[in-house]
Amino acid sequence: MTAAARIIINEIKGYHNFLKFMIGLVVMGALATMARFIFGLGVTTNLNDVYPWGLWISFDVVTAVPLAAGAFTLGAIVHCFHIKKLEPLVRPAIVTGFLGYSLVCVGLLLDLGQPQRAWHTMVYWNIHSPMFEVSMCIMAYTTVLFLEFLSPVCEKFGYHVPLRVLRWLEMPLVIGAAAISTLHQSSLGTFFLIAVDKLHALWYNPLLPLLFWMSAIFTGISIIILEATMVHRYLGQPDESELLEVLTKILPWTLGAYLIVKLAATALLSHGPLYDRPSLLTLFLAELIIGIIIPMFMFMKKAYREDDRMQLRGASLVIAGVVLNRFNVSMFGMEQADQAIYYPSIIESLVTIGIIAAHVLFFVLLAKYFPIFEHHPETVDYSLPDHAHSMTAAHEHSHASGSESVH
Amino acid sequence: MSSTPVNYDKTKSFLIDTTKCTGCRGCQVACKQWNQLKAENTTFFSGEGYQNPPLMSEYTFTRVKFKDYQKDGQNEFAFYKEMCMHCNEPACASVCPVGAFVKTPEGPVVYDAGRCIGCRFCMIACPFGIPKYEWSKAFPLVRKCTGCFSRIKEGMQPACVTACPTAISYGSRADMIKEAEKRLKNRPDRYQQTIYGKDEAGGTSIFYLTEQPLDELGFKPVTQRSLPSYTWQALRLVPGIFLTVGGGLSLLSWFTHRKERIRQEEAFKNSKVQPETTVEETREDQP
Repeated sequence: MTAAARIIINEIKGYHNFLKFMIGLVVMGALATMARFIFGLGVTTNLNDVYPWGLWISFDVVTAVPLAAGAFTLGAIVHCFHIKKLEPLVRPAIVTGFLGYSLVCVGLLLDLGQPQRAWHTMVYWNIHSPMFEVSMCIMAYTTVLFLEFLSPVCEKFGYHVPLRVLRWLEMPLVIGAAAISTLHQSSLGTFFLIAVDKLHALWYNPLLPLLFWMSAIFTGISIIILEATMVHRYLGQPDESELLEVLTKILPWTLGAYLIVKLAATALLSHGPLYDRPSLLTLFLAELIIGIIIPMFMFMKKAYREDDRMQLRGASLVIAGVVLNRFNVSMFGMEQADQAIYYPSIIESLVTIGIIAAHVLFFVLLAKYFPIFEHHPETVDYSLPDHAHSMTAAHEHSHASGSESVH
Repeated sequence: MSSTPVNYDKTKSFLIDTTKCTGCRGCQVACKQWNQLKAENTTFFSGEGYQNPPLMSEYTFTRVKFKDYQKDGQNEFAFYKEMCMHCNEPACASVCPVGAFVKTPEGPVVYDAGRCIGCRFCMIACPFGIPKYEWSKAFPLVRKCTGCFSRIKEGMQPACVTACPTAISYGSRADMIKEAEKRLKNRPDRYQQTIYGKDEAGGTSIFYLTEQPLDELGFKPVTQRSLPSYTWQALRLVPGIFLTVGGGLSLLSWFTHRKERIRQEEAFKNSKVQPETTVEETREDQP
């Protein structure tokens, strides 16, 4: 036991200082979490009856879910639209998605008053509740991502039979992922449809769910660009900017479609005054200009699409824009003019910082120990090894017919 | 919500005539007694005027709001008893993921603390800001006015109704609306010609008559449509969207992969190599 512990400690000692810093942040987040459970939500957060949802809902759930949308978007692009050359990007996207959703679950559990009763959603159904729908979808989708994530794990440990099952499941999982994601990405927008007289007219309109879904798609694509570029820069993985160029071609279309729907919905379908609060109007314009209009025009230029620095900048702008959008909808736009302004407490901030750090940390560690970037589907050996053959020798005939159906 | 209109005429309702309220706060005290709610340590003038406690909370399910104003050079008070509106189609019940809120056939919207997971969506959804949270606890639940469901089940009236000497009438929704309309008609100079609660949020079980304009008294302007209908118009599309996206992508993948399958098969046919045929044949031979 001590020997194993020493090996682990030596391993950690060998890590880059950045990783050690991340571990420190995660530990701080864990301590803050303990404080939340010991002292209660009222003392440790700045939430109150006027402001019941704060940073944890706005960032850890409402913002983190679209930020984890890369897996379903890319899965659909690669497997359904069949742009096979993007395949090397899929596995990192799945890892990011799986980590993202696992941490969404953690964030959600922290925010619940009765986290030990989270299973109640599975027993006491209320199909009229968007929260019910989102929690069911998040549970289902985290399972799907976990199954997709098992592939590199099985490859690492040489589990051949599960690997074959997973490959057989690949298409159903990709399609299921896209369908489930469409539902919960949009339903996060449905959350705020109930806040009729609370959410400001700049954001409140009946198309909010559609807008949430559309923005999840281009956010997913941008996250993949960001992640692949960072991984190339800091983890010494191959330069994928040629593949990313394909993605940047899709971006102006999705951004443009979103811009049209958003402007139309705001102009035609919203009720109430739009220009009555200058600070909110500024936030609305900032979100549109930074997150939509500038990157859209950037990626309309071929020279920018091919330049890996511009790819990163454009994608970062899109991500900044979507983060601002989700905060506008779930936080700034919900604050009434006569209401005290909410700001997160230190403990709330430490928990959220810890969750972000945990995402980065786990991603780097997974990349270190599992075949995530070295994935070339054509080279993976899906056949059963010899020892498995010798085990099934008695049933050779049935096995042969089995393998026919697979090929 | 459901498309079949439910008749709420027989549900128990409150008619609160604020012009008759004396601001005695007997209702507040009765509510605390019946629900065994802790007293709050408060000071005068911490809210608006003589209003005390300043806010509703986990310990205060109802309170009388005080409004100072001047009339003919005289200082006057207006009062507004704030409480759960017990909506016909409650937003809190529609958004609760575990269905902890139920609109009872008797009228009150009741809350099942045993189901609640503490997500606070009800607090976001309620247009009147009624559900309050036990912020003092490590594992908090929601608290709100029960409409004294435990009392009316036994044929009694709610605690605040029995305590009120002047302003609250209690009875079926149809009767209370009739009574309110009668008062508006008989003394048009005394009242604003609106019944707050009749159509607010799709109709509630609490009706207010006022002399002051509603917004001056602190009544929130609320949509006349039932709130659950706003989310349901999106949520009802969920099964269709799931099948459309799933089916559409399946079809798309079938077509995109079909090309590749055909290409592979033809490449296989055209190639001279015929792997494993001998093995297959020998296997076919041994029965």
